[in-house]
Amino acid sequence: MNNLSHRNSIRGAILCAVLTLGLSAGASAASHHGGGHGGGHGGGHGQPAGSHMDSQMGGAHMSGGHTAGHMSGAPMAIGTPGTASDVSRTIDIALTDNRFTPETISVRKGETVRFRLKNSGQFVHEFNIGTSAMHARHQKEMMMMVEHGVLEPDRINHARMKMDMGGGRTMEHNDPNSVLLEPGKSAEVIWKFDTDASLEFACNVPGHYESGMMGRIDIQ
Amino acid sequence: MCAAAVAALTSMVFAAGASAGTYDLTIGEKTINVTGKDRTAMAINGTVPGPVLRFKEGEELVINVSNRLDVDTSIHWHGLILPFQQDGVPGISFDGIKPGTTHTYRFPAQQSGTYWYHSHSGLQEQAGVYGSIVIEPKAPEPFRYDREYVVVLSDWQDTRPEQVLANLKKMPDYYNYSQRTVADFFSDIKKMGIGAALEDRRMWGEMRMTPTDIADVSGYTFLVNGKNADQNWTGLFKAGERIRLRFVNAAAMTFFDVRIPGLKMTVVQADGNNVQPVSVDEFRIAVAETYDVIVRPTLDRAYTLFAESMGRTGYARGTLAPREGMTAAVPEPRKRPLLSMSDMGMAHEGMDHGSMAGMDHSTMPGMDHSKMGGAKADPFYAPGSGLMPKAANGGRFLSYADLKAQKPLYPLRAPTREITLRLTGNMERYFWSINDRKYSEAAPIRLKYGERVRFKFINETMMTHPMHLHGMWTILDNGSKKWNPIKHVVNIAPGTTVYTETEVDAPGKWAFHCHLIYHMATGMFREVIVEGGPEEKQSSNQVKVGG
Repeated sequence: MNNLSHRNSIRGAILCAVLTLGLSAGASAASHHGGGHGGGHGGGHGQPAGSHMDSQMGGAHMSGGHTAGHMSGAPMAIGTPGTASDVSRTIDIALTDNRFTPETISVRKGETVRFRLKNSGQFVHEFNIGTSAMHARHQKEMMMMVEHGVLEPDRINHARMKMDMGGGRTMEHNDPNSVLLEPGKSAEVIWKFDTDASLEFACNVPGHYESGMMGRIDIQ
Repeated sequence: MCAAAVAALTSMVFAAGASAGTYDLTIGEKTINVTGKDRTAMAINGTVPGPVLRFKEGEELVINVSNRLDVDTSIHWHGLILPFQQDGVPGISFDGIKPGTTHTYRFPAQQSGTYWYHSHSGLQEQAGVYGSIVIEPKAPEPFRYDREYVVVLSDWQDTRPEQVLANLKKMPDYYNYSQRTVADFFSDIKKMGIGAALEDRRMWGEMRMTPTDIADVSGYTFLVNGKNADQNWTGLFKAGERIRLRFVNAAAMTFFDVRIPGLKMTVVQADGNNVQPVSVDEFRIAVAETYDVIVRPTLDRAYTLFAESMGRTGYARGTLAPREGMTAAVPEPRKRPLLSMSDMGMAHEGMDHGSMAGMDHSTMPGMDHSKMGGAKADPFYAPGSGLMPKAANGGRFLSYADLKAQKPLYPLRAPTREITLRLTGNMERYFWSINDRKYSEAAPIRLKYGERVRFKFINETMMTHPMHLHGMWTILDNGSKKWNPIKHVVNIAPGTTVYTETEVDAPGKWAFHCHLIYHMATGMFREVIVEGGPEEKQSSNQVKVGG
């Protein structure tokens, strides 16, 4: 769901989603492609995000009609991008080859959590919040990233990632519910769990989820 | 947080100090019944396969092997890195184990993963002398699972292996019958009478090498952990669990195409070494290879573990189930590859070779496998090969090209020299060879300690040869460069050229051979002598091993 995004529609979501990209480690910005979003690609911020979110969030059902500007306030099936001022708790998650530590987290419904993520492994890993069905769909897209040379075992080919695949589609990996990290890089994701969905956090790099690189999110 | 995790990990590594374990194996005759008839097998500790040996990485192993046969025996620790004197090949590493005596092997378990062990004497492996080895790693593995099973695939024949080999040596006679027509059959009846004519055809039916028989021996029953398809080996699970299956191909002559309909298999190890995980629908396991896969059945139902022989002559079958006694549908065996008339015309060394050639070269001219059903052609098979792997469900079939080392043992560097090995054979007299010379006619291959040798395998035969170098890792050049996987067996398909490299880091004398037992026994075998190297390495445990 994160790649092959429609460039025009994703911008709004990204800018409105309060992702603290690159704050924890300047160098990591490149792995989120967050650095480029603010400048250079200005178009389309005002476009409705609904259609985009349907595909970007792996078909998560929105209550409909949301525009990008309302993103942070709209309840989604899997929760919403959070804002830093609402954060009530920070959870550190280590990404190694091929597992998360810890492997289970508990949150209260409605809570906004800051995930502080560090890739201590030797391979590229993802942190992605979603349902298992969403992860399964996203794994296919990640496989395509590998097949197109965007995703190498231990690095991200940023030039290829930004290549126009036709029709404005790129393989950028830039959804607010996820982050893709090269070895040694850190990042943060702020997420509001205003949802009852059965959620997992997962690494959808091919083979990693199946090897056990996923964890359960208990919403109480 | 991360620092703490790393610290915890490190302390675990050092906490597991060297332990020592003593293991006792006894090789003796044993009556078994695989096909409905009692037959005498050679068993280890009374079972076929022998017991699963569970070692710990770093453990100092003491293994006593007692010989209760009336012939010499031996045990080779397949894929283990060890001093050459402990490798268990009679005539190369030691003298073998005489009847009535006990031989003690001593070496450290320097690696982890799934391996196996078998007799390296005569044809004893085919008679039942094989078992599996599981070495628990010191460090956490890059994958998780809730339970595990060893799955030893093997092939059994009621005919004694020595008789099989004798029959193979007479192959041209058998094979000529296969060329006969109905008219020939009536002519035979006239000459020998109906009984003899039928008997000839029955024998030929048992022993012939048919065009559809990808291996050169048929009449096998295929086993999962020693059980035939009806006995249905079963591994239990709870829905949602991850199961690690440690597949070992301990067959003497049979390649298997393995699948579990309804489940994706995530391959995490090949030949005991971690690979970057790759999820597939089916994989081919060559003789003597091992693959570890993780499956995660989420439904409370049974799944069939189906291992079809590459020549489609039969299958091994087991079941994964939530409860004992549950079964799932057993797939229909797929069609055997067929030869065309043009394949017959390809003969250049006599009909035997020519007819077999057809299976592997473009059996159907103009057919482009790469365009079929979206499935990609495996670059490790000749274009148009009848052996081209193809998943039964149209999904992904594991290729050697998919194997990438999780943590490369050796840095990439240019090889210091190249050695060409043509895989050759003479079907007429049934012997197999390397560079047209069988073992008894060939000088050893001499390597120098510290060099990195590139082997160029050119398969000039119509059979598939799983080549096994003892004592040192084989780095398979599959184009992944620094991620090229390390293996102990590399399968060379007909009509292909495959490159491997070996860091020559183990002094001593080693065996190097095709692991198809009748190919090995008739000459596709070399002694490799590694000259030089630090003195202490020749018996110490300082050899680099994979993780």
